[in-house]
Amino acid sequence: MRLSANDSSVSSSLKLRKTVIIAIFAAVAAVLGLVEAMLPTQMFMMIPGAKLGLANIMVLTCLCFLSWRDSLALVILKALIMTLIYGAFSAFLFSFLGALFSFIVMYGLIRVGRGRLSLIGISVMGGVAHNVGQLTAAYLVFQTTKIYYYLPALMLLGIVTGIFIGIAVKYVVASLSKLSLFEPFAPELQ
Amino acid sequence: MKRGDVVLICLVIVAALAFFIPKWLIQNSSENNHNNTMTAEITVDGKLFKTVTLTEEEQMITVPTDHGTNILKVHNYGIEMIEADCPDQVCLSFGFVNRKGDTIVCLPHRVLVELKTDQAEESELDAVVS
Repeated sequence: MRLSANDSSVSSSLKLRKTVIIAIFAAVAAVLGLVEAMLPTQMFMMIPGAKLGLANIMVLTCLCFLSWRDSLALVILKALIMTLIYGAFSAFLFSFLGALFSFIVMYGLIRVGRGRLSLIGISVMGGVAHNVGQLTAAYLVFQTTKIYYYLPALMLLGIVTGIFIGIAVKYVVASLSKLSLFEPFAPELQ
Repeated sequence: MKRGDVVLICLVIVAALAFFIPKWLIQNSSENNHNNTMTAEITVDGKLFKTVTLTEEEQMITVPTDHGTNILKVHNYGIEMIEADCPDQVCLSFGFVNRKGDTIVCLPHRVLVELKTDQAEESELDAVVS
């Protein structure tokens, strides 16, 4: 950045950087979501509805660098892109509710557990919250508690995938911090 | 990993196990009346679509919904979702189910298949004693 730049151009440059980062993250999150859908994870996980949650890497990374508003924009954008690709809105409403719930829990934990939690703990809780949110959306549709039958299995699996997602976010944050685009946004968590 | 992470993960494991315990109890009690015939209750959008008896012979059930079509197959005293034109295909991964309380869910199509035993009164006997 030029030293002679005045305040307004500095803030507009920051805004531009933010917009670019959100756009890139949303695109990567959508691609990760598509790749995940192609992987035959259902085959070996043996639990219906189990997912790796790769898109969570981008949401958590975004929460590390940017504010909660920007991260929420990312979550909504990703849901919109996925809806446009698949063309079925009602199906993705459920996954969006899961993603929203997971986002709220992760943001809350970053605020509350400042310094006491690492990225791994936060991503584990985000993964578990995603499952809880999705099943709750299903419960609201079907009005039967039988839906929660698979929750414990999904929770245990969510711990395992959450740990790996957390490790991945750690590496992504460390690498992105070295880029000049991310210079003004110091990551809150390491 | 910090200590807070370990505490959180342990909490989740404990919560998951607490969910497992009633599930085991249900499964144990259902083994007693294993000989009862099982039925599958198919509901679409909360409304009962059909109740089928699970037989050894094959039966195909087509479930048309507002959102798409699901095809169920009954065989070997169980039921399986074999075809669905939903986008996520999660319902197919439920596989073959044949135990009481098992479910197959197709969320995008709002289809729910629930397995029940015919003699519901027998299992509720304990509750009626008083």
